[in-house]
Amino acid sequence: MSQPTLPKQASSQHHRGTGVKQQHNAPAKANRRTLPPLNLQALGIYIAAVVIFLIFGMLNGNFLTAGNLRDIAVSASVNAIIGLGITFVIITGGIDLAVGSIASFVGIVSATLMVNAGTSPFLALLAGIALGLVCGAINGVLITKLKLPPFIATLGTMSIYQGCAYVVTNGRPVYNVPKDFVFMLNSYVGGVPVAVILVAVLAVLCWLLLRRTVFGQNVIATGGSEETAWLSGVRVDRVKIAVYALSGVLAGVGGLVIVARINAAQTDAGSPYLLTAIASAVIGGANLMGGEGRIAGTLVGALILGALTNGLVLLNVPSFYEQIVTGLVVVIAVALDQGSKGWPLLKKRSTEKSEKKEATT
Amino acid sequence: MVAPLLELQNIAKSFPGVRALNDVSFTLERGEICTLAGENGAGKSTLLAILGGSLVPDHGSVIIDGIKRAHFSPRQALSEGVKIAHQEPAIVPQLTVEQNLLLGRTSRQRREAGADIDQALADVAQMGFPLNAKTAVQGLSPAQRHALTIARAMAFGAKIVALDEPTTSMLEHNVEGVLTRVREIAHTRGVGIIYVSHKMPEVMSVSDKVVVLRDGTVNYTTAISQTSEQDIVRNMVGRELLAFKRQHPMPSRAPVIFSAADVSHPTSGKPLSLDVRAGEVVGIAGLVGSGRTEFLRAIIRADKGSTGTVSIDGKKRKIRSPRDSRNAGIAFIPEERKHQGLVLQVPAYANVALTADRQFNGFGPLISRRKQIAAAEEAAARMSLRPANVRLNARQFSGGNQQKIVIAKWTWRNTQVFLFDEPTKGVDVGGKVEIYELIDALAHAGSAVIVVSSDLPEIISLSDRVKVMRQGQFVSEHTGDDINEHSLVANAMGIAERTTT
Repeated sequence: MSQPTLPKQASSQHHRGTGVKQQHNAPAKANRRTLPPLNLQALGIYIAAVVIFLIFGMLNGNFLTAGNLRDIAVSASVNAIIGLGITFVIITGGIDLAVGSIASFVGIVSATLMVNAGTSPFLALLAGIALGLVCGAINGVLITKLKLPPFIATLGTMSIYQGCAYVVTNGRPVYNVPKDFVFMLNSYVGGVPVAVILVAVLAVLCWLLLRRTVFGQNVIATGGSEETAWLSGVRVDRVKIAVYALSGVLAGVGGLVIVARINAAQTDAGSPYLLTAIASAVIGGANLMGGEGRIAGTLVGALILGALTNGLVLLNVPSFYEQIVTGLVVVIAVALDQGSKGWPLLKKRSTEKSEKKEATT
Repeated sequence: MVAPLLELQNIAKSFPGVRALNDVSFTLERGEICTLAGENGAGKSTLLAILGGSLVPDHGSVIIDGIKRAHFSPRQALSEGVKIAHQEPAIVPQLTVEQNLLLGRTSRQRREAGADIDQALADVAQMGFPLNAKTAVQGLSPAQRHALTIARAMAFGAKIVALDEPTTSMLEHNVEGVLTRVREIAHTRGVGIIYVSHKMPEVMSVSDKVVVLRDGTVNYTTAISQTSEQDIVRNMVGRELLAFKRQHPMPSRAPVIFSAADVSHPTSGKPLSLDVRAGEVVGIAGLVGSGRTEFLRAIIRADKGSTGTVSIDGKKRKIRSPRDSRNAGIAFIPEERKHQGLVLQVPAYANVALTADRQFNGFGPLISRRKQIAAAEEAAARMSLRPANVRLNARQFSGGNQQKIVIAKWTWRNTQVFLFDEPTKGVDVGGKVEIYELIDALAHAGSAVIVVSSDLPEIISLSDRVKVMRQGQFVSEHTGDDINEHSLVANAMGIAERTTT
């Protein structure tokens, strides 16, 4: 293609015509110097995590010991694993309320396979992951092919999968999970808990998937503007089904970790993790409107929640308060996120400022 | 002397990059019906928005009953009796007819509204649409909804009513009843009516006066008895032409490389065919809502239920989705670039790479950001993107530069056909010329280009050939000297027979 060159006349016209446009360009110019654009909110969450850890450390000498930090990491691992999947879902602008049920269902099915059918732990693990995949993919199909809103579709399947978990064992827990299985997911490698290693590996894979593959870019595009993605040739439905399937797989893995941690499968072991996993993603910067979310943010979100639970226990705060604090953290984190984009009040002031600046220049 | 009902004095309003209204003044008397005419983008909607209080003019004043209204909010406008009936009926389908009439009123006002409701219902009935107050609006036809909207605007002590294309969804015999009633109401109640319509026969029959807007100024004001359809149209056209001329008009004897046959969109269902040659720019003119965007969307199968066949280089291509059309070498540059063309919160280079599958992959399944950035930078340099930094988020660019990013999504691919929908909407003058140069360059490189635009000077300066659409169909084709504003507008509005013969 030949290079279109601007005729002189047009460029002079352009200069005359830009009186109003400069307003637009001003922030862009300011940003050019600091590249890549610094994300204050992303940084904010790490600072908040450090502050929380330091405060608990000062209040209780045992908090910052290696042993306790390890406990926090282990207790945060299930939230982190499930939260990674939720992060993908939220980035597409959806929500997955079924993850807790899928975790319970997968846990109970895998445990039953091992205990009652004598399946090998490895095969049971694979079966569990496959079950999570199917459960998640069903969510995706309901959302894309039947056009159900994600909230409704997963609200329905949340109940269905939970019911399935009850049906498998008539509501009874499965005890005496084989030692090999527990060893796979709840042991130590060089002093580091397997669950923590698992989280680290999954997080790296998820990060690569989100930021370094076409699929990940399509996930972000779908959440940012579904119409744009569709008109650009992205198979939006496939992307969504894959994202819910991924969320199902990670929820299943989370369920298996729970089983390994308590040596047993309970029929509703996963349900408490639904809201905390969503909270982890949201604290980490995932935007329920879609298009935004960070893998590292979700991990930090899970760690903050783990640290709060752990720290409040060490401080002998009655456990009921923990929920209040968790709720406050979610509200504050999201409020700060909004604040970094500008509350209406702040926005007004800043535009006034910039206008003044323009008037003086 | 009694002050006029409404007096607009030197109204001016600018948006970033565009001056919508320059200096608009006119008056409206009690009982008078004044038609506001003008092409798409002449400033009619802006003027109505100012009248309704949803926009504040930069200069000038709105004087009602001799009293100047400063800082007019929509709520104040309503309480003053200024009502706007929009083209898209602003009614809630789930509510009943009565509830819709009462929308926005407090419970006390509602108790006192009995007589007004009866009046409004009587008005609707006289327009030829007897409605029951208790029926849900859901079950009403578009024409009935429009009639209801008109009656609502005229009820509750309205003083000034603006009707924006009130009859688009109505059949001929309904229109007559509606217009008759509108005239009666205006005359008996002394309501001043601003009437916006592209249908010339209606304008001639209903109005007392016509005000023609062009480029944000009043170009022509006259009593309807002293003018004709041709005079009105003549004054609508003739907007300032941009100093742009294609450097590379279509070479003669170029082969047809794109052909769409019997393409139809589910909303209109009318099959359309169009062949485009290599290096040719075909403009599609027509009024807003004439089905131009739908034609483009049907070609790329953006919406379910589209039909038709598309051939490229004489070979039939199987296209069932935008993805297929992309892979066949067809680009669609949509009208709403912020919602349909770009993902605003990701960098420009990631937007450019949105149309890629594995083309920018590096190691195995992983993408190479370096390759993405390199491709985006090459396109950016060619199009002189400003700022020339493809790592900035798409949000940070101005309208014209955003459009360049959208075009860059397609130029790195082997794209032969470019479908542009309003390519310079919201782009300032300098940016427009750059986009035109790009379109010219694309055609020069041998692509087939279709440009849908409501900006007539744009269509005229870009196109080798122009098709005019009306009510979902191509009604005329223009080449050479026949590509002029008068003949395009006349055909778009359906008054061609009378002007040409």
